Amino acid sequence: MIAWIGSAGVLLALAGAVGLVAAGAVALRGSSTLARRALRPMAGLLLAGAIVAMGALEAALLLDDFSLAYTARNHSSQTPLLFTIATAWAALEGSIVLWGLVLAGFTWGVARTVGPDDRLGAGALAVMGLVAVFFFGIMASVADPFVVIDPVPADGPGPNPLLQNHPLMALHPPLLYLGFVGFTVPFAFAISALVVGDAGSRWLARTRRWNLLAWSFLTAGIVAGAWWSYEVLGWGGYWAWDPVENASLLPWLTGTALIHSAVVQTRRGMLQAWNVALAIATFALTILGTFLTRSGVIASVHSFTESHIGPVFLAFLVAVLVGGYGLFATRAHLVAGAPRLESLASREGAFLLNNLLLTLFAVTVLIGTLYPIFVEAASGVQVSVGRPFFDRTTVPIALVLLLAMGVGPLLPYRLARAGVVWQRVRIPLLVGIAAGAVLVLAGVRTTGVVLVAILATAITTAMLRQFVISTRALAKGPTNRWRAAWEVPRRNPGYWGGQLSHLGIAVAAVAIAVSGSFGTITSVSLDAGGSAPAGPYTLTLAGTFERDEGNRIAHGAAIELRRDGRTLTVLEPAINEYRNQVQPIGTPAVWTGLTQDVYVVVSSLGSDQVTLEVRRFPFKYLLWVGGFLAAAGGLWAVWGRRSARHADAAAVVADTGEGSGE
Amino acid sequence: MSDRLTGRLIAVAIAALLGVVVVGLASAPPAEPDRAHALAERLRCPTCDSVSVAESPSETARAMRQTIEEQVADGRSDEDIIGYFVARYGEWVLHDPPVGGRTLLVWVLPPLALIPGVLAILRRRRQLPAADVSDEVRAAVAAELARCADEAEWSDAEWSPGRSPRADAGEL
Repeated sequence: MIAWIGSAGVLLALAGAVGLVAAGAVALRGSSTLARRALRPMAGLLLAGAIVAMGALEAALLLDDFSLAYTARNHSSQTPLLFTIATAWAALEGSIVLWGLVLAGFTWGVARTVGPDDRLGAGALAVMGLVAVFFFGIMASVADPFVVIDPVPADGPGPNPLLQNHPLMALHPPLLYLGFVGFTVPFAFAISALVVGDAGSRWLARTRRWNLLAWSFLTAGIVAGAWWSYEVLGWGGYWAWDPVENASLLPWLTGTALIHSAVVQTRRGMLQAWNVALAIATFALTILGTFLTRSGVIASVHSFTESHIGPVFLAFLVAVLVGGYGLFATRAHLVAGAPRLESLASREGAFLLNNLLLTLFAVTVLIGTLYPIFVEAASGVQVSVGRPFFDRTTVPIALVLLLAMGVGPLLPYRLARAGVVWQRVRIPLLVGIAAGAVLVLAGVRTTGVVLVAILATAITTAMLRQFVISTRALAKGPTNRWRAAWEVPRRNPGYWGGQLSHLGIAVAAVAIAVSGSFGTITSVSLDAGGSAPAGPYTLTLAGTFERDEGNRIAHGAAIELRRDGRTLTVLEPAINEYRNQVQPIGTPAVWTGLTQDVYVVVSSLGSDQVTLEVRRFPFKYLLWVGGFLAAAGGLWAVWGRRSARHADAAAVVADTGEGSGE
Repeated sequence: MSDRLTGRLIAVAIAALLGVVVVGLASAPPAEPDRAHALAERLRCPTCDSVSVAESPSETARAMRQTIEEQVADGRSDEDIIGYFVARYGEWVLHDPPVGGRTLLVWVLPPLALIPGVLAILRRRRQLPAADVSDEVRAAVAAELARCADEAEWSDAEWSPGRSPRADAGEL
């Protein structure tokens, strides 16, 4: 019954998607009222079908309906509730359903903005419909989540242990998918703009909010994934340059480039063709990411499932690239304008540098990720491209990006006179270098850390300085100071959202540099009741335990963590035996203090002796804080932009500077 | 205190502090080279995904770290130790792709990708249609712009709807 409802949902959505393509294509051509009126109902049909499909899958999991092959393979009646819900996207078929649902949601959102005589919007909906046809077509064929098996097993093995080890795993995929799928919107509008020949910046203006939304979710999704890796995998790291991690970073890099270069086009009429190319690239990279994750082409931690959908995704990727860039090559002149860059020393010059670096970053990661596949395909020899390559190539790029991030927002558009720049840069630079000097005098002699600290401090200072100046300017009028401090970011959410994201990136950069350079690892062996020091902390073995947690049996050690005689917490690192897996999985225990994390992994567990690996990472938590701040900045820009529509009159202060110059 | 003087004082302070930073970093005692760790970072853990022998908490990686330490203690060269593992696991075990052989291109291609980008930006700059505006006019306008911008401080309006970018981009 549930399988039947689910399949009906998939077919309903597929019908809606096909209808959307047809209606969109007709509405794109001319002024067919019928086609135009059909757009929204078709998008509604797509969304309704997708909701039914997702609902049916969740129902099957929650009701322990093991007649579905998906449930039988990935679920167990003992799986806790949260992970039961998350199992809906833990394996291939289900993750495609989630993708389809998110895509249908975005399509519905776009359909609501399409007005009468809106060829651009109709074309975009047709493109989104095409993408939906692909995904729901997969669900109806090679990756059918509603296959029924007979005989019906009494119970299933449950999801992959690593996926039911931490609540973050329930959060990471939906966030990531919201980001990935969100970038379908700029792609759809870019393709539509090429077809329509939209010479203005309308397509960009209409996608800006979607881009920011997608970017924010993707950022949060990547951070959640990194955090999960840190909390669960027990190696103390958060980013291994694994091909599948890279696959999520690639669209983030080009998406970040797009958000910035879109500003240049809207403000200065430059980079039109480049923006179209970036929108296509970002979407293609999300498809590439899914291909890498789900096809098993690269054995990796994320390739939990291998299936025959690899070739299908590859074909779709090729179609996107050939179709997208084919259209781009023949029609880009319709959307492109004359390039005008008066000086590289200007805000738009900084944006160009930002785009150059982000693209170079993406190209480098792409080459490093795909290289082993190509070598193996060409010669049959397996080679590795690991962290040493990525660190050495991308860290310098990231440092220059950080510099550009600090200086860029200080530069005026068009031409930055040295005097003006000096006026704006000198205080932040002074504070930044002073911070560097303090660190050096305090004994920090790691060049990377000092450099990042200088940059991050300068960026933060520049931001605060600008905030104070803007607030003061506003408070000169009838507004009081506190009200002004609240009004400034409200009146210009785009700028201040961006600044908040920059602050988040700066904080994350500091965390990466510091925790990477000053992490320590010690191995300690403890007898029952025994203690051992690790830095300023003392670890005492309070006992060992064996706990049946339903889906798993945890064998662990209770470790009392103390500092200066005060008990901070009891850590319970464990080795978990899952019912569905022979190989036990070690799970670290992490204590986060104000200055550092204490990260404990069991390396051997005897009846009266326990050996632990104790890692300490200073300020590791700042990485998650910074990452989520960056995502929050993007959301602020989206959210503020909405209300700004009603507050045009408020944009007085914000506009005077540039306004007087134009 | 005039702005000029303030600026000079700040410049001096920056230079002095920069001196502290540079001298401090340059005079740092060279870090103890941990050969075994450095070697472990160059090898890929055979039973994990994308993690080096140095990072992995797995049994295999622990055993390999042990082997590396023993060989370092025996005085074997880096090449010998790396070669020892390549002989056992194949080229795949090289986490750090060598600059040469099959993995030469992975190092060469990224810098090459920079060239078209830089060229595109430089070309954009050269295509400036500025011939009919004299330098004095330009400088005067720029100065005036800067003065205005300074008075209101610079704008943080990076984008405002309803304003045509094409109109903005018009002649100076």
